[in-house]
Amino acid sequence: MPKRILIAAAIFAASLAGTGDAKATETEKVFKFYCAQCHGVGGKGDGPNVTEDFKVSPRNFTKAKEMNKLTDADLKNVILDGGPAVDKSPLMPPWGKTLTGEQVDGLIKHLRKLCNCKGKQG
Amino acid sequence: MRFMMITAMGTALVLAAGPTWADAAAGKTAFAAKKCTECHYTDGPAKEKTIDDQLAKKGPELWYAGSKFQKKWLGAWLADPKPIRPLKYGTLNKKNPGDHPKLAGTEAANMTDFLMSLTSDAVKAGMVKVKKNIKGKQIFIKKMPCSGCHQSPGRKGKITGGFSGPSLVGAGKRLNPDWIYAYLKTPSVFKPVKAMPTFAGILKDKDMKNVAAHVAKMK
Ligand code: HEC
Ligand code: HEC
Ligand code: HEC
Repeated sequence: MPKRILIAAAIFAASLAGTGDAKATETEKVFKFYCAQCHGVGGKGDGPNVTEDFKVSPRNFTKAKEMNKLTDADLKNVILDGGPAVDKSPLMPPWGKTLTGEQVDGLIKHLRKLCNCKGKQG
Repeated sequence: MRFMMITAMGTALVLAAGPTWADAAAGKTAFAAKKCTECHYTDGPAKEKTIDDQLAKKGPELWYAGSKFQKKWLGAWLADPKPIRPLKYGTLNKKNPGDHPKLAGTEAANMTDFLMSLTSDAVKAGMVKVKKNIKGKQIFIKKMPCSGCHQSPGRKGKITGGFSGPSLVGAGKRLNPDWIYAYLKTPSVFKPVKAMPTFAGILKDKDMKNVAAHVAKMK
């Protein structure tokens, strides 16, 4: 009996780890599809849209110093409503009608991974 | 006997429908014969459900081509295709190789008739008044990020703008203005999974018409 519970627990744990990975992979795909066109695949602000005509540099997500000035709520705000919602450039699009809540939450985690930072708390 | 009569009636109907119908039929046959089907689908509604579905496509969907394009442009492009998207379809880091299959004169005409017969009810005629639209221009270059992803003709004809979306240079000759508005208003009908943000619910209805009019004036 205990053995069976152990096995069940192991399977449960494995499935949890599995969904975690699947989610991270899914988020990477979302980032690459929607955000990389401006922010670059690695998040350095060097996507194919960023030519000399592009007036404002898209945020480099790997710079912890800048990314630490923003709370997760700030990130959510700008992703949903676009640059002007936080007094930034309208070249940062509003994604609120495009992405699901889950995709946005995944993206915030992905940005924190890219900057390797926790962001301003509060 | 009865069968023969039905066949005769059918033939008469085909003849009565005239050459346009016949051309579209030839175009439809050529669409399969020329392997256009390998990269394009022509039966709606939209099939894409996930990012993977969208990235698996080798070319844009054509099931509403007759609502999207202007006939004159389409005929000319099929005979002499020039790159529309700055980047290779479905990629972010390769240039459009400009190697689209070409069709000879009659083939291009038949194909045009076939593709123009593919329409969508979601596109209503007469929604967009095509004339100089200052508000639409402000939205395109200032208020919204359109120029970040699309090339367009700027001052003194200089082409500016981003690369990830199709170039809108020449959009006034290429696209049906009412389709541009319908696409902005109900994007999920045409492109359920797209790298362009959905603006419906962000732009007012009037402003979607304004920006559609501006795009429809692009030379
Ligand atoms: C059309 C180009 C473009 C696309 C696509 C884009 N961004 Fe941006 N983004 C920008 C620009 C430009 C800025 C910098 C704005 C400024 O500093 O005024 C920016 C800034 C940001 C910032 C920092 C905001 C701040 O307060 O400093 C975040 C976070 C962000 N983008 C997230 C995203 C995410 C997530 C996606 C994908 C869903 C995305 N962006 C897609 C252009 C883009
Ligand atoms: C190898 C894949 C491939 C084949 C085969 C192919 N196409 Fe295409 N087609 C594309 C791609 C990629 C584009 C986008 C080209 C661009 O943006 O410059 C395109 C664009 C088009 C467009 C414009 C659509 C738009 O939304 O801009 C039409 C119309 C079209 N093709 C018709 C045809 C016809 C007709 C055939 C058969 C003779 C054909 N294609 C064969 C890949 C293909
Ligand atoms: C983040 C990049 C991005 C932004 C911002 C953007 N677009 Fe797009 N746009 C695209 C992409 C990518 C496509 C192609 C979608 C597809 O076919 O899957 C597209 C397609 C289009 C098309 C259809 C073109 C064709 O030939 O198929 C029009 C018209 C258009 N966009 C207009 C606009 C307008 C107007 C705005 C601003 C309100 C805008 N776009 C903002 C990326 C963008």
